[in-house]
Amino acid sequence: MNADTELESWREEWQSEASIPADLHRNVERQSLQMRLLLIADTVVTIVIGGGSTAWALLSKDPGVALVAVAAWIFLAAAWIFVFTVNRRLWRPSAIDAAAFIDLSVRRCEGALKAVWFAGILFVAEIAFDLSWIYVRSNLQQSWWRWLLFGSLRTDIVWICTVVFFILLVWYRRRKSRELARLLGLREEILGD
Amino acid sequence: MKSFTATDAQPGFGSTIDLNRETVDRKSLEEQFERILSAHGPALSRLAASYTSTVSDRDDLVQETAFAIWQALPHFRGDCSERTFAFRIAHNRAIAHLSRNREQKIDPLEEVELRDPAPGPESDFSRRQRAETLRTAVRGLPLAYRQVIVLTLEGLGYREIAAVLGISESNVGARLTRARQLLQDALENRK
Repeated sequence: MNADTELESWREEWQSEASIPADLHRNVERQSLQMRLLLIADTVVTIVIGGGSTAWALLSKDPGVALVAVAAWIFLAAAWIFVFTVNRRLWRPSAIDAAAFIDLSVRRCEGALKAVWFAGILFVAEIAFDLSWIYVRSNLQQSWWRWLLFGSLRTDIVWICTVVFFILLVWYRRRKSRELARLLGLREEILGD
Repeated sequence: MKSFTATDAQPGFGSTIDLNRETVDRKSLEEQFERILSAHGPALSRLAASYTSTVSDRDDLVQETAFAIWQALPHFRGDCSERTFAFRIAHNRAIAHLSRNREQKIDPLEEVELRDPAPGPESDFSRRQRAETLRTAVRGLPLAYRQVIVLTLEGLGYREIAAVLGISESNVGARLTRARQLLQDALENRK
């Protein structure tokens, strides 16, 4: 490549930056703020649940309660590993151009969809552990399934919360799926992918 | 990116500027300001991006530049092109920005890990990758060479670059030769 051709090629590349749509820019900034707030919320939950269960185990000196504390830390560790894995490279665009902003938004959407699955599985695992622990500790004579369905107001509340949680999860998943489709359309429109 | 309009700059001006405003047709100033920004806005944004490492810093610098252009506009007598005028101010603001943020570290290359949705020879993706690599390599050049290469890539000639930077045309040529060598080396190293 001779010098002038090279310079012209660089010039084309340099000036090829597509402008970042304002709503996309705002959206990315809003998501960044939400991610920071979620990180703070996760930290608070870790301190409250992890610290609380550990303090409870230490104070009660009951092996059963110690098991709860261990399980709580396992669930928290799983959640943090997931958060760090999914959030990696989601904090800022890799460049200041439309392509990087759209790519970041797409990856954030995909991350949110993965998080929906993870949240569902983690919730089921926690509920299964908690209810099993309560059932075993209660030393009840009735069969476990009868206890689960009709045992007490406490188990009924658990089921109501579970239903509400999964309804919200499905709603969120649909919202994010629509957003992902919109972003992929935008990427095609702007960048011709 | 935040937009900047002439009316954004009204409050807080000093009395000198206000006196000038009385003698100059404000409407034509506003039109001139809008014309400069619409003609050179993307170039000023790219220039700002070559001196900053984050989106918000880039936007701040673009805003500062737009504000400075608005402030200087009453004094602009057409002794150079509007482009030269705008770039000169943009460069001054960029230098001021750098001097305020001396500790700012520009990443040598924030590796772009975009997945290629349609791999193929010379896909749009690979063009974007090359453009991003070029921008990052330019950001990594020493200031004196970065200034010259950025203005060259924006299409300014030796005379205009000399006017913007306040150096001689021969100095522009010498710096550009060296800047191109450094840029070639940087791009080679990234392959």
